[in-house]
Amino acid sequence: MEEFEYLSPVNLPQLLQFLSSPGGRVIAGGTDLIPKLRSGALHVSSLIDISHVEELRFIREDAEWVRIGARTTYADVLESPILARYAPVLLQATRLVASPMARARGTIGGNIGNASPAGDSMPPLLVLEAEATLINPTGQRVLPLEELVIGPMKTLLAPDEIIHHVSFRKPPASRGFSFEKLGPRQGMTISIATAAAAIELNASQTISAARIALGAVAPTPLRCKTAEELLLGREPVEETWKLAVEAALKNMSPIDDVRASQEYRRKATGVLLERVLQSAADLAKRSADQ
Amino acid sequence: MKPIQVNFMVNGKNHQIVTAPNRTLLSVLREDLKLTGTKEGCGVGECGACAVIMNGEPVNSCLVLVGQADGSTITTIEGLSKNGQPHPLQKAFVEHGAVQCGFCTPGMIIASKALLDKNPDPSDEQVREALAGNICRCAGYTKIVEAVQAAAEESNHE
Repeated sequence: MEEFEYLSPVNLPQLLQFLSSPGGRVIAGGTDLIPKLRSGALHVSSLIDISHVEELRFIREDAEWVRIGARTTYADVLESPILARYAPVLLQATRLVASPMARARGTIGGNIGNASPAGDSMPPLLVLEAEATLINPTGQRVLPLEELVIGPMKTLLAPDEIIHHVSFRKPPASRGFSFEKLGPRQGMTISIATAAAAIELNASQTISAARIALGAVAPTPLRCKTAEELLLGREPVEETWKLAVEAALKNMSPIDDVRASQEYRRKATGVLLERVLQSAADLAKRSADQ
Repeated sequence: MKPIQVNFMVNGKNHQIVTAPNRTLLSVLREDLKLTGTKEGCGVGECGACAVIMNGEPVNSCLVLVGQADGSTITTIEGLSKNGQPHPLQKAFVEHGAVQCGFCTPGMIIASKALLDKNPDPSDEQVREALAGNICRCAGYTKIVEAVQAAAEESNHE
């Protein structure tokens, strides 16, 4: 590994102080950065390690919102009763992230900040309509996640800014959520494609709210608003899902890579999307029956 | 490059290390503490040969900077035996032929221990999930799962 200066703030004020001097790269779990540092793909003059900043490790709720600190690990997510209740779709995705060892280190803030098109926490967070609270030495700002991530490995984070937490409004209990991931095996797999959906039905069993997000099929994880709008007022049946798939396909711009071809990604995403829409609708129906 | 000071407890013993920050926990364990049971396979967190337990969770020690381990409690494969007696997992791996070349074995046993510490009675599926990040290239997964189950059973009868 190349040489670098190692800064290890122990609390938030110290972290903000380190952020105000230029050239530092923030590291949390390191599951993505350390391989890049070791291979020489990434050069840094100094590393600001937030792994000891416990103030960034929390999962909290108030009457309306759920908040997840940036340094919260996937393992923390899986053990959270708050998230099990309000964001089971995030747990569904988290269970399929890499391995227990990677989940013990990898963080939610890291997955967002790293901005991989295949980041598995993103589609669930997008259908939860999550936003990120960013902090810098002079203040803070809030951005919807789909605005924060702007390209492969690119975000709107300023050099002296980090993600403090992500938050989402507690969804209505009647809203069903679902997530699917496609890869060659269940564990240790970088997604070929992912899909997440949320569906709510009204008393006449037609769709009153829909959220759709896709991963690994465009330069960023995608929220498909056109497809969502198409679903409103329709019945939760196969023909309806086909319409959504058709619309979502227009948003996609998948690439050919070692994992899959464009063509395969398109076909597979259509299948995944139909499945998550159906199972989200089934959950919505079940919650209405209760 | 400014050296850093790191304090951690490894296998019940406190250590204070002053070293360069661009080193991994794995390299410090192997080269400074001479705990060479933990192996380096891929070096990028894919194979699990470098698994250690850090603050109760299994981690790839090749993906932990030494500074990130400051203040932590670590168990390596060398820390499993008690009074010269192998850990039930170690015994079970031998008895069930779950070891071929042996390179993945310390990581397999550490990941299995991390599982059994949290879930003393796992299903086969849960064992396989817990070992998803550990690769055996001799192709011995069935016997490994059997060994973990045998060790779980033995520990539960104790």
